[in-house]
Amino acid sequence: MQDSPTPPSIVSQPQPESSALLLHDENLWYKDAVIYQLHVRTFCDSNADGIGDFRGLTSKLDYLQELGINAIWLLPFYPSPLRDDGYDIADYTSVHPSYGTLQDFKDFLTAAHNRRIRVITEMVVNHTSDQHPWFQESRSSRENPKRDWYVWSDTDNRYQGVRIIFVDTEMSNWAWDPISKSYYWHRFFNHQPDLNYDNPAVREAMWEVMKFWLDIGVDGFRLDAVPYLIERDGTSCENLPETHEIVRDFRKRIDLAYPGKMLLAEANQWPADVRSYFGNGDEFHMAFHFPLMPRMFMAVKLEDRKPIIEILEQTPQIPENCQWCIFLRNHDELTLEMVTDVERDYMYDEYAVDKAMRINLGIRRRLAPMLENDRRRVELLTGMLLSMPGTPIIYYGDEIGMGDNIYLGDRNGVRTPMQWNGGWNAGFSAADPERLYSPLISNPVYGYQAINVDSQRRSAHSLLSWTKSVIQTRNAFRVFSRGSIEFLNPSNHRVLAYVRRLGEEKVLIVNNLSSSAQAVELNLQMYKRHIPIEMFGRNLFPRIGDLPYLLTLGPYQFYWFRLRRL
Amino acid sequence: MAEESFLADDFIRQLMSVGEVDLLVGIPSYNNASTIEQTLHSVEESLRQSFVRERAVILNVDGGSGDETRQIVEQSSERRDAGHKGLTSLRTIHRISCMYDRSPSQGLALRSIVAAADLLRARACAVISPATTSLTPSWIANLLRPVYREGLDFVAPLYVRSRFQGLLARELLYPMSRAVFGQRIRELYSDEWGFSGRLASQCLEQDVWREEAVRTRPEAWMAILANGAGLKCGQYFLGPKTVSPSATGPDIVEAIRQTVGNLFWCMETNQGYWMGRSNSQSVSTFGPEHELSADGIPPSQDKMFDLFRSGVNELEPILASILAPDTHAQIKAIALSDRTKFRFASELWVKTLYEFAASYHRAVLNRDHLVQALVPLYRGRVYSFLLEHANSSAEAMEAQSEILCQEFERQKAYLVERWTAKN
Repeated sequence: MQDSPTPPSIVSQPQPESSALLLHDENLWYKDAVIYQLHVRTFCDSNADGIGDFRGLTSKLDYLQELGINAIWLLPFYPSPLRDDGYDIADYTSVHPSYGTLQDFKDFLTAAHNRRIRVITEMVVNHTSDQHPWFQESRSSRENPKRDWYVWSDTDNRYQGVRIIFVDTEMSNWAWDPISKSYYWHRFFNHQPDLNYDNPAVREAMWEVMKFWLDIGVDGFRLDAVPYLIERDGTSCENLPETHEIVRDFRKRIDLAYPGKMLLAEANQWPADVRSYFGNGDEFHMAFHFPLMPRMFMAVKLEDRKPIIEILEQTPQIPENCQWCIFLRNHDELTLEMVTDVERDYMYDEYAVDKAMRINLGIRRRLAPMLENDRRRVELLTGMLLSMPGTPIIYYGDEIGMGDNIYLGDRNGVRTPMQWNGGWNAGFSAADPERLYSPLISNPVYGYQAINVDSQRRSAHSLLSWTKSVIQTRNAFRVFSRGSIEFLNPSNHRVLAYVRRLGEEKVLIVNNLSSSAQAVELNLQMYKRHIPIEMFGRNLFPRIGDLPYLLTLGPYQFYWFRLRRL
Repeated sequence: MAEESFLADDFIRQLMSVGEVDLLVGIPSYNNASTIEQTLHSVEESLRQSFVRERAVILNVDGGSGDETRQIVEQSSERRDAGHKGLTSLRTIHRISCMYDRSPSQGLALRSIVAAADLLRARACAVISPATTSLTPSWIANLLRPVYREGLDFVAPLYVRSRFQGLLARELLYPMSRAVFGQRIRELYSDEWGFSGRLASQCLEQDVWREEAVRTRPEAWMAILANGAGLKCGQYFLGPKTVSPSATGPDIVEAIRQTVGNLFWCMETNQGYWMGRSNSQSVSTFGPEHELSADGIPPSQDKMFDLFRSGVNELEPILASILAPDTHAQIKAIALSDRTKFRFASELWVKTLYEFAASYHRAVLNRDHLVQALVPLYRGRVYSFLLEHANSSAEAMEAQSEILCQEFERQKAYLVERWTAKN
């Protein structure tokens, strides 16, 4: 079981020459963040109308601070017909009345900042709702000044061959507008017309929107559907050079006027294709690593580290001021676009046997149900998420192991009310249950009576308590957020082991991906004479010597060790 | 004193790292530097294409190659297409290797393979020869699939043969093994075959690994063991077979020593199974129908008849101790006939073989010498066959083969009679 002769370092990021410089550089806060993703509608209802709101969210900030997260990513909260969960924005500079007022948002933002929690908001730049005044004007006549703010055509033959993203619902990327009697371009739902970024006025308008929120004090934007901003004949209409120009322009303006604010790209592409969105450190600060996530699930099911190692081998280096954003689950389906057909079939068969669990090219399930409520696997995957390079995102409710409801349609099954306690409406709302924006999860396993924050707060051994502890550990060591990674290559393929390193700080992570106990011998010659200190119990392990370092791990067990030269 | 383990510690460590598998592909090697890399890639390709979800290991067992076979195995890595996105395969395809320290032997190699299969709890296994240059990924899949998916325990290959290829199998091994053991496996002696983990475990328990018959041709023993244990056997049509020019096969004397010696040994060790059986059963056959191809040039007949005639003369005392007087007399008679009108009739051929088998059983003389005494008679039979069928169609030759098989089955009672005779 000794290491095989392949090179021990598979992926490594350059170590900053002056880590001290970075450690104190507050503008790089996003590198050290643990982001909590939520929709204001789902979190807490303060006015008993059955819908979560900013006042309710503000009242729960102490909980989030206690959890240890230091950034919140808010899903769209703008006025919207809500035909795509708010991603169909009808007004960019206001708050949907169901969620409160602009002042409520400002109060929330101040309260969050007071707790050293940053706030990232959603900026849907690619398209608007068809109810947005811009589109209403644009469609009103071909002579309207805003006519050219969207992509119109007299035929639906342009941009042939461009893939359709929502394959379950859309037949074409063009939709017929009976008012102006022409077709408009839409990459998503047909009620979400794409903005025309070839028009400088559109760019200026969107910059004004960003300035509006930056002036209020938001700390960053997640830019939705970035690859699709520009269309060109004979191309896939994705990732075009002009799109990058637009991003660079936004970034330049932000750096000049709002230093320290962050742009996060949603580009569901292969890592090599996403790499271009970092530019030379002059486009996005962060981008999601979409292909890694399904492969983490795959690796645990296969009991084989290969999927993780191989996708990280294909992940290019990124500029030093940039960071990948990694996650296990989010508000969308577990996307399987960036996998091969073989991998997708495997994921479906292993994690979505019931067809109702599938939507588009993905799986609409939460973390705990996907893992059959197996606490060991939930902890293993969360531990991997928090110890791999990148900024981790925790989806609301996953810290307590909330369940889902696959029968709610679209992706609403993973967007049910947060379960605060076992009482009325799970403590989410004082409204009548019938009035809630979504039914609560109420089955015997995942129902709010069984799974809720209050009950887990009482137990030091609950998933919530464990999650707090592991986040706390991560936050205490900057090596997790900024360190390099060096994969070890033990011959036991069920074990995923790596060393994170930042200056003299070294952490060894060893994960058993298997459902059975495993022995592994690690080649730690580079760390000879170091003493591994287990980071949760702070116990000393035998000093690393000349021989391969032998560890045994129980099913799905993992270790985090500080390696100290004492 | 504790029995010495035949598995090296390093090999055990490799097996521990692999853990439980679904599929195991064994590649015995000995000086196969020119072809081993391609074999490894074909196996990997097969596993990637046909068994994407299965846990698999490729095991190279080397007999002490003097060339670079082992270095190539160690240094060769999994192929990846340039610009490939996504995984090359879902799982790690393990490669492990070991070496045994005795002289090269298919049997010793197989022992390590079945031991690995047993320890790793493999469900389906295949043995692949690196000398086979016509190996394709589908071959490997076709040997594994009937075991893994259909629950068979032994899968023999079926090759496309030209009319004059495989005469030893067609005239002797197939019809005789079919009649004796009752199963119609055409290529009992081959370099590629598939088997189940269950059969591997049974083989491992047998105390036969030092027997010459198993050391040289373990595959037929394995099939017959499966047959005797009531396990399911089948065969898969693989297509035409070619081997590396550097892999020169044994000459006819050695081939008969290995195969016929093995067949007789298997009859000896399994007599309780076959004695009471009559007729034969077809086995599950997968893939397109097996058929002879029409091409092929008859082998040189120049010396065949002379060697037959001189063998009958020179070995007269030996043949007298092996054959019944009447049979011996008939053979001597045909040896005196005109070479252009020579005919070694099927009835006499079958009787001759059965008497050889019975004499092997009674050990009337050194068994190896006994088997070798068959060589000139086999030459006579082949010479007769070629005289009769030089211009026959493939269909006519197939029909003749079936008639011969039926003759073997018809005379089986005679075999039993000779086998059980007191003297």
